[in-house]
Order: sequence, then C-alpha cells, then structure tokens
Amino acid sequence: MTALEDRTDLYGHHVETGRTSLRRVTEPDDDDLARRFRDGDEQALAVAYERWSGQLYGMAVRAFGPGPDAEDVTQQTFIAAWTGRAGYSAGSGPLPAWLVGICRHKIADVWAKRDRQRRQSEAVAADVASRPGSHDDVDTRVADRVLLLGELDQLGQPQRGIIELAFFEDLTHVQIAARTGIPLGTVKSHIRRTLERLRTRLEVDGAALQP
Amino acid sequence: MQHCSPEQLALAALREPLSATDAAHLADCAACHAEVSALRRGVDALAFPALAAPTTSLTPPPRVWDAIAAATGVSATPASHPTPVSHPTSVSHPTPEPAPLATVTRLQPRRNRWMAVAAAAALVGGVAGVVALTRDGSGQVVAATTLDPLDADDSSGTAEVRERDGVRSLQVDLEAPSLGEGYYEVWLLRPDVTGLVPLGVVHQGANVVPLPAGLDLGDYPVVDVSVEPLDGDPSHSGVSVARGSLS
Ligand SMILES: [Zn+2]
Repeated sequence: MTALEDRTDLYGHHVETGRTSLRRVTEPDDDDLARRFRDGDEQALAVAYERWSGQLYGMAVRAFGPGPDAEDVTQQTFIAAWTGRAGYSAGSGPLPAWLVGICRHKIADVWAKRDRQRRQSEAVAADVASRPGSHDDVDTRVADRVLLLGELDQLGQPQRGIIELAFFEDLTHVQIAARTGIPLGTVKSHIRRTLERLRTRLEVDGAALQP
Repeated sequence: MQHCSPEQLALAALREPLSATDAAHLADCAACHAEVSALRRGVDALAFPALAAPTTSLTPPPRVWDAIAAATGVSATPASHPTPVSHPTSVSHPTPEPAPLATVTRLQPRRNRWMAVAAAAALVGGVAGVVALTRDGSGQVVAATTLDPLDADDSSGTAEVRERDGVRSLQVDLEAPSLGEGYYEVWLLRPDVTGLVPLGVVHQGANVVPLPAGLDLGDYPVVDVSVEPLDGDPSHSGVSVARGSLS
C-alpha cells in the first residue's frame, strides 16, 4: 500500500520535466547516506532533504506555525548541517537525529531573537515601566533553552541519548532502559548526573533567576 | 529523617511518579523539594513540546530547497523538487546517456514532446471534476494499492485487482489534472522496472481494464500511471505521475 520505496525511475538519466526525475537510482540506506553526506557528496544533501525535510519542517511548524520562521528554520538547519558536516561523526548518532538536534538549536535561536525584538520594542514603549513583570518567566526559559541545548551538545554517549529520550520522547527511565538495553541503575545515575550538569550550567551562565 | 536518593529526586524533576514513601517524604521535606525545583529548571527549559521529537511530516514549500541550494551552491536536486516547466530551453540540450538496460532501450523518453504535454497540463491546471465511467464493483478484491503522486505531481488514486469467475481486471480510480493533449495510461511494472505490461488508456475517475490471463502479479506488482503524448508511439513515455505497489 505504499509508493515504490526506492522511487526507481524508468531511465538511467535525468529528465527535467518537473514531474518525475527519471533516474535509475538505488536509494542509499541511512548509514550510507550519512557517510556520503559527511564526505561532501552533494547528492547526499538532496537525498537527505528528500528524506527528512518533512519531519524537520513539521517540527518547525509546530513551533511557529506555517510561515517564514518555520521555513527559515528548516533551511537554516540544512545549511548548518551541510557547512558543519565535518563535525558529524558516527558518535553523533544517526544523521536524522543529528539534524533534529540542529533544528532544535535553530528553533531556540528564533525564540531568542523574537524575545530580544520584543524587549526592544517594549523598551521604546513609554509604558514599559508600568507593565507587570509577567514576561520574566518566559524570558528566562528562552535564554535557558539556547544555553542548555549547547550544553547537551557537550554530552557524550550514552548520556546524551538517554536524556534526549527523557526530554524529547517523554520516556520514563524504565522505558529508556528497555529501549536502549542499558541497565536501569545506570540510566538513573546518568539522568541524575546530566540534570546536575544542566543545573550547574544554569547557575553559572543562566539568566538571572527571579527571586 | 531519610532523604530521597539523588536519583529519585532527578526522576521527580522529570515528573516521574515516585514510590509512596518517597512521595510522602518529598511533600514534607523542604531540602528535597528545593533540590527537585533546582533540577527541574533545566527540565522545563528543554522538555518542551516544540522541541520534542518530530511526529508530523509536512512538505516544505519548494523555495526552502531553493534557498538551501543558493546558500550551499549545491547543484543536486531532491527527487521531488519541482522544476519549473516554463523554461523549455533547459531540456533541449543535454544529450541523454544510453539507457542502462538493453531491455528498456526502446523506452527512450521523448523529452521534447513531453514538454508540450506538461505545458498543456500546467495551463489547464488544477484537479478537474472526476468523471465516472465504467466502474464495475463486482468481483472479489484480491490485491489493492493506493496510487501515490510521484514527485511534484498532484495525481493520485487507488487501484484494485478484482477477480470474478477466474477473470481478473484492474479497477483504477484516478484523480489527476486534465491534460490539454495526450492521455493517461496504466501499466504494471516489475519493481526494478526491467519489464512492463501496458494495460490501456485511463481517464480521470473510475476505470476498469482487463488483466492478461496468466500474468503473475508477484512479478509485476507495481501499478504505474503515465502521461502519454498523442504521437502514435506505443511505448512508455517515461513520464509517470502516480504509482503504487499491489499487496
Ligand atoms: Zn529530604
């Protein structure tokens, strides 16, 4: 009940009809694609886009709704991945997961930019002093997100994979142990150490906590 | 007083349920409670719905790829990326390489002729009203597939193999743009496209075409709908608009 997965086309050459590209291609699997991507094969960027842009754009639309911000995040994710492909390694996890991680950064960056713009526009508003501090909580979290996503990048495996499953896939520690095969006690101690590390980062560099 | 373990406090920060003993202690102990609050600030910053793993796939508009290609200088193109049909000069030159398989050499695509069809289809545009033709709902469905658009096409549909009294037919419901000239044709293909069986002309809406007796659908499971120009050439134009694999 699906389309041909490999989208095999009828001919061995490309025809720019705008309707089908008639190339006989055997689509690479994800690992092969990741290697080619890292090695700078331009076709791999196009295939990666074909394969994962829908999910990344879906993620960006969830954050911003359809529109320029979601499109910008999607394109910036692929541009950053391509220009930073030398930083991708097998230890970075599967290529799509790496792309999702970049996409999170881009989403957080847009939030932070919006927040700066909002502050600036409020600063020029005459009534800024009379406003209640209702945004302070939100401001803090926007800044924290950018900071902590950067901290996640510094984590090695399996710590990073474990905390991402907890944060982004909403798995319990029992589910994480089952999914990864890592013993329950190890999962718990990794979670504890990672949360401590994030707390430390916030205490050192984070936005000022409201009293 | 026995405090909660550091691991349990971390799980509490993640809002995992605690044992009754730990939960009762946490409710009463200011130190443990403060610890959970401190750990939770990082959780709340990151475990945020918009950052969760992607669940929904949406197709970005073509300009997103255009921007990526412009920024990276990459000349490769995703398979589904539409190429504007308004630049016919771009298809008049490069010489096609030989087809890789001798058995499909006769399927040399007729590119320039196709362009006229594509341009006509683009002019008509949109999805025309579906015209019900010769639908035959009788017989038993023995295999079926959805027909998914290929690449930028907005053609889609369903295909069902029906069998009645030992005779098989393919029922194709096709939703596709009107063609200014040319016609749609349905084929059965091998998955690797090393062979194909023409089944006949189909229209928008419901169609029934007979299947050749003895044809093994296991060998030819792929239902392919192509656009054929009115040029008297019975071979596949090379321009497929929708496909599905029978199962
Ligand atoms: Zn305590």
